[in-house]
Amino acid sequence: MTAREQYAPGPASGAQVRRDGEKWTLILVRELRHSPEKVWQALTDPAQLREWAPFDADRSLGTVGSTVKLTTVGAPKPHVTETTVTRADAPKALEYKWGGFDMRWELEAVGGGTRLTLWTNIDRRFISMGAAGWHICFDVLDHLLRGTPIGRMVAGEAMKFGHWQRLNAEYAKQFGIETRNWPPPAAQRRSQ
Amino acid sequence: MKIKLTSVYVDDQDKALRFYTQVLGFAKKADFSQGPFRWLTVASPEEPDGTELQLALNANPAAKAYQQALFQQGQPAAMFFTDDVKGDYERVKARGAEFTMPPTDVTGSTIAMLKDTCGNLIQLTQLARRKAQ
Repeated sequence: MTAREQYAPGPASGAQVRRDGEKWTLILVRELRHSPEKVWQALTDPAQLREWAPFDADRSLGTVGSTVKLTTVGAPKPHVTETTVTRADAPKALEYKWGGFDMRWELEAVGGGTRLTLWTNIDRRFISMGAAGWHICFDVLDHLLRGTPIGRMVAGEAMKFGHWQRLNAEYAKQFGIETRNWPPPAAQRRSQ
Repeated sequence: MKIKLTSVYVDDQDKALRFYTQVLGFAKKADFSQGPFRWLTVASPEEPDGTELQLALNANPAAKAYQQALFQQGQPAAMFFTDDVKGDYERVKARGAEFTMPPTDVTGSTIAMLKDTCGNLIQLTQLARRKAQ
């Protein structure tokens, strides 16, 4: 069995939701046993993003003012958005937009590792799905940084994976929200 | 192969969903998201398994430019067929839609044009009744 096949995410944790009227922000915290410099590279370098992130970048996200095209991986129709990096204080703070989402990353040196925090505004109807997706992405990132990459797991591929459904339900419960049923388009067609 | 989907760009998907369902009378068909991408479609209640209309966010410069250019040239972004354009015109107008052209006879059809509030013109078309074969 490969490391990818053996991978099973732990229980939902490290996420909270900040509600500001209709605008909800998902705040995700993950402790990584790697230096902020190493984590910074994984957050900004297109080759490393391709190993774990839910989007591809056409150039480094590590330079303030640069314009970067982000391609959402596995969207049902190609989805490319352009962003300008508004903050890049290596290896501490990184800000840009992914489509309409604000992406604010903070890297804090803790012991020999990094406490990584992501603030991202996300449509409240999909917020537990977002938390589940990022949970898996961060696990994959952790494997990458340890030098034992298991390969990116995003989009439909992550959702096929039973653990994603469990995480979605767990986060929804933690956030005190109802999660939506997940009818992929093919299944939905039959049910309607 | 089948033609199952067509798309219009919109500047706000929630506003679009309200307009296409509450004003035009279509029904939501698919709605899910992946990151900032939201796949949102509606279908006609008269034909629930018929062609879907994707309400796609115009979140890139090419989409915005295309949408604005069509609008400025008076070109509809989508065309819907009806058996009763005058009745639909009255119904949709009563729900608050702004028409840029009332039902007008043209070659082979009667058409009307309205704004979808999301950056598009929409054309309603009623084909002239065919003569009995």
